[in-house]
Amino acid sequence: MTYSAINFFKILHKKLLQIETVLLVSTFLIVLAIAVIQIVLRNFFDLGILWADTFLRITVLWLGMMGALFASRNNNHINMNLGLKYLSANSLRYVKTIVHFFTASICFIVAWYGVNLVTMEYEDAGIAFASIPIWFTVIIIPVGFTIMGLRYFSLAILLIADADAEKKPIGSLN
Amino acid sequence: MLFFIIVSLLILAWFGAPLFTLILSVSIIGFSYQEINLTVIPIELYRITNTPLLLALPLFTFTGFLMGESNTSHRLVRLSSALLGWIPSQLVLVTLIASALFTAFTGATGVTIVALGALLYPALKETGYSEKFSLGLITTSGSLGLLLPPSLPLILYVVIVQQLDLDQNISIEQAFLAGILPTLLMIFTLFFWSVWLSGNKPVARKEYSNKELFSALRESVWELPLPFIVLGGIFSGLFAVSEAAAVTALYIIIVEVFIYKEVSLAQLPAVIQKSMTMIGGILLILACALAMTNYLIDAEIPILFFEWIQSHIDSKITFLLLLNIFLLVLGAILDIFSAIVIISPLIVPVAISFGVHPVHLGIIFLANMQLGYLTPPVGMNLFIASYRFNKSIFDIYRSTIVMMLLLLVCVLIITYVPALSLFFIEP
Repeated sequence: MTYSAINFFKILHKKLLQIETVLLVSTFLIVLAIAVIQIVLRNFFDLGILWADTFLRITVLWLGMMGALFASRNNNHINMNLGLKYLSANSLRYVKTIVHFFTASICFIVAWYGVNLVTMEYEDAGIAFASIPIWFTVIIIPVGFTIMGLRYFSLAILLIADADAEKKPIGSLN
Repeated sequence: MLFFIIVSLLILAWFGAPLFTLILSVSIIGFSYQEINLTVIPIELYRITNTPLLLALPLFTFTGFLMGESNTSHRLVRLSSALLGWIPSQLVLVTLIASALFTAFTGATGVTIVALGALLYPALKETGYSEKFSLGLITTSGSLGLLLPPSLPLILYVVIVQQLDLDQNISIEQAFLAGILPTLLMIFTLFFWSVWLSGNKPVARKEYSNKELFSALRESVWELPLPFIVLGGIFSGLFAVSEAAAVTALYIIIVEVFIYKEVSLAQLPAVIQKSMTMIGGILLILACALAMTNYLIDAEIPILFFEWIQSHIDSKITFLLLLNIFLLVLGAILDIFSAIVIISPLIVPVAISFGVHPVHLGIIFLANMQLGYLTPPVGMNLFIASYRFNKSIFDIYRSTIVMMLLLLVCVLIITYVPALSLFFIEP
């Protein structure tokens, strides 16, 4: 690749990370706002937003998946990891590569069947709340698992090329 | 084949594969073996949207992180000292109570040791306590409070049990009440032991001062209503738990950002990101575990497990004893959230059949897991303390071991005296 092409991907990568952050923060704030508005409406005005409860229950899944995406940025997912400290630096690198490939493939499997579920819901054309169709609320599952899978996949590849790949924050590709 | 699969999963776990992928592998392999279409897995993951209570988790986590970023810890310690200053060994009691309250609000994240430790460790040493004792007390106190509302593990346990469709259902209010006496037992056991320990050397006692109390109250006036909003709101029936969590989160944003101005508006996204990263990891494991539990139920594994237990264990006491041992080992290898999510669906039905109340079981579960934070060699709080106070992990082992054993005695009492947990629930 030419220098400018690499540069393009670097910028694209950074932008995508920023978009992810903005989405997570705004989802959280919207959830908080809707939850509070709903309480105020109910307790003081005897009113309510019809779709608020469903919306809030579904956004828990979205918040969870987005948070999980952040955890995959630096391989911060909860693990037991009792054995890694007994390995030499070199074998550590290869063991980690294998583990990351495993993680990536599990994510891709779930993503694949997630696409299946989205297609099924799309054909059913059910409505989740307001005029939002169910398939749209499910889409976070394949999207989230695909991105997580890609992250672990690239981490595995990077580890083959560079033993310290894991220690570098994912925002910097140097 | 089965043997080969189990061994490879264990090897992957040993070398740090994320827990959610291991849980998913069990479901993927299990459902394929039963020739069930794997689309069932995303369907099961989607099932976490059926639980209104879950919204409380991200909201309370955020609140805890935000309080950790501001000077709440400082005000809490000052106020507790002003209130309790006249008691002998007051600083020990302040450490225990302030830590428990802080942990209840910030969840099982180790924040307490970092935030309160910074204030209390120098204070304890200055008052004349030895370095070993001070380190031990702060590390041990960091795990108290898990049983008090609105602690995240407590909410998570209730979520799981409610998913199980048992005859005997439990409410979050019951769980919130159940932890009070067990926590007091632990606090006062550690307190009286400390008093006895320092009995032969006089420790400075602070003068009680109305002025100091008044000024400490005024300083923390905005955070004082917090327990009342959460508990008052829930127990009066004004809010559901997730609503109380929303009101608390908004209230704390207003207080810390606009009144105390200790966290700027620009820092808020970073706090949201950090807290959601932590809870995202937990929610993912929860969703995956729901799928696995469903596979296990399909494969009738809980029933087999149940029958096996019943044919080998005949008394409640033996069951509880084995449960204690099992949970202590579990607490040493799994974090509290994963342990609740993965193990409680299996043991709750068995425990009920031995006549253990599900709320009591939750308290037993969490109390044992709490000890796991302090159990060498891998207890998380031991490492946090070692890192925070720049001491070797062996120094931390030595300073906490006696207090850990005292807490172990408390955990046994909590296990074998159900009345302690059920006092406010069953008249």
